[in-house]
Amino acid sequence: MRVLVVEDERKTAAFVRKALQSEGWTVEVLDHGDTVLPLLATTHFDALVLDIMLPGCDGLTVVRQMRLRQMKTPVLLLTARGEVGERVEGLNAGADDYLAKPFALAELVARVRALGRRVTEPAATTLHLADLSLDTIHHRAERAGQPIELAPREYRLLEFLLRSSGRVCARRAIVEGVWDYDFDPGTNLVDVYVMRLREKIDAGFATQLLHTVRGIGYVLKEPSP
Amino acid sequence: MTIGTRLTLWYSGLLLASLLVLCGGLYYELIIERNADLAAGRQREPVEHEIDEVLLYYAIPAVLVTLGGGWWLMRKALSPVRRLTAAAEGISARTLGDRLPRTGNGDELDRLTEVFNAMLGRLEASFAREREFTLHASHELKTPLTIMRGQVETALRDGSPTPSQGELLGDHLDEIQRLAAIVDSLSLLAQADAGLVEFRREPVRLDELVHDACADARLLGEAAGLTVVPGEVQTLSVMGDRRRLRQLLLALTDNALKYNHRGGIIRFTLLRSGDRAELSIVNTGPGIPADKLPRVFDRFYRCDPAHGSTVEGSGLGLSIAQWIVTSHGGDIRLASRMGEDTTVTVQLPGE
Repeated sequence: MRVLVVEDERKTAAFVRKALQSEGWTVEVLDHGDTVLPLLATTHFDALVLDIMLPGCDGLTVVRQMRLRQMKTPVLLLTARGEVGERVEGLNAGADDYLAKPFALAELVARVRALGRRVTEPAATTLHLADLSLDTIHHRAERAGQPIELAPREYRLLEFLLRSSGRVCARRAIVEGVWDYDFDPGTNLVDVYVMRLREKIDAGFATQLLHTVRGIGYVLKEPSP
Repeated sequence: MTIGTRLTLWYSGLLLASLLVLCGGLYYELIIERNADLAAGRQREPVEHEIDEVLLYYAIPAVLVTLGGGWWLMRKALSPVRRLTAAAEGISARTLGDRLPRTGNGDELDRLTEVFNAMLGRLEASFAREREFTLHASHELKTPLTIMRGQVETALRDGSPTPSQGELLGDHLDEIQRLAAIVDSLSLLAQADAGLVEFRREPVRLDELVHDACADARLLGEAAGLTVVPGEVQTLSVMGDRRRLRQLLLALTDNALKYNHRGGIIRFTLLRSGDRAELSIVNTGPGIPADKLPRVFDRFYRCDPAHGSTVEGSGLGLSIAQWIVTSHGGDIRLASRMGEDTTVTVQLPGE
């Protein structure tokens, strides 16, 4: 996958590049808003990570211009302001996703991956990880054939984590995806729910599936052998 | 013309008028009437008698004219002051852009209005500077925070740190997250002050939000052995911004959990009171001394109990709660009984 990163802050650009490259993607970095459209006109990219505040043409204008010119490259907007109004403005301008600074790198990577995938494969109705399975039609979860009783919120949390199994979910992404809050709840709500979920799916099993990633969030995965 | 000159002239006129009334009376009683009596050949009344009559019929009206006129005059002279007072009362931190109306006639009061307006202008500018400062500061802080967070994450992932280094980096990430949350709240409040945050107005089932908050509180309070007691929750809707109202409930719940003692309780009640919705959340806890109550909504204000236990948090939760409530045209109050419980009461206009 080829990703174009437009960010004028050198250090931010450096670690974003590094993180995306370590996913095995090809990354190109620009630091000026005016240079984006000419490059996009000649080179194909699968995803664009675009800072809003840029020298020259700002990020929002770039997206608007892209959409006017029928350039369909998916865009992830980065912004330091991070208020609802701006989020709506960004999405209205034609961006596909939005991430407020300071973001977790894991979250950035996950969102860029989601943008690049964008092939609309129908969402699976049964999700699996090792001997854990979740039937999203009948809302039934089992582990090793044992049914697991889940409260509605726990069910949504498990589905969210399973849909991105193997990848780290940042706390903020979980709050947004499961609780539908787009602000920091200021409590350890997520941690408490994850702890309860862990008790239900991992307690009594030799293999632990739900892991904590310190300072970032949680991941559902099989331990690497 | 200055007020001094104007008042002097008016008052002189008034005195002159009452003097004229008196003199006219004297002239009539002593000259005209006596001459008429003389011409008619009638017996003239004694002068003392005439003077008594003058005093009775003319001096009293003259005094009344002076009194009434004086009263009317002062009222008229002070009416601009009353108007100024009313206008000045209407100006709060939110309406600093308003100015007092000028009469434009260049008198002392007009001059006072001018000076007052200039002062308001300076005040408004300094408020605006402070807002802008917070707005910029929170914005500027995000860039270094982004870099720190990104670099620490990269080091954790690619730098293969030793366990103790990993522990340290993890701690740093936690603190960066905390700092980021504070900066976020601060920037939200700064935008709110600058009037940049828009509120939706839609019917919101407040009882549903309260039930959600109860469920969250029950779960979050489990570890500290807190009991959530369900009070009466009536089914009702208010007009407002659903997302902000959830944020409000979360902030209040968070507070009720944090300032509580082990094994304490939290009680949610939602009642209809007239055409308003009244939400109260009671929590057992150390309580807040009466002299500190008015300050709890101040930004970063903490009133930690005497034994000095510190509670984690940004110190901005109640400021945000207050902003959300007042933006909905509501009212938020805190009442506390030391060593027993604290009740936060929110009143919101109904649908």
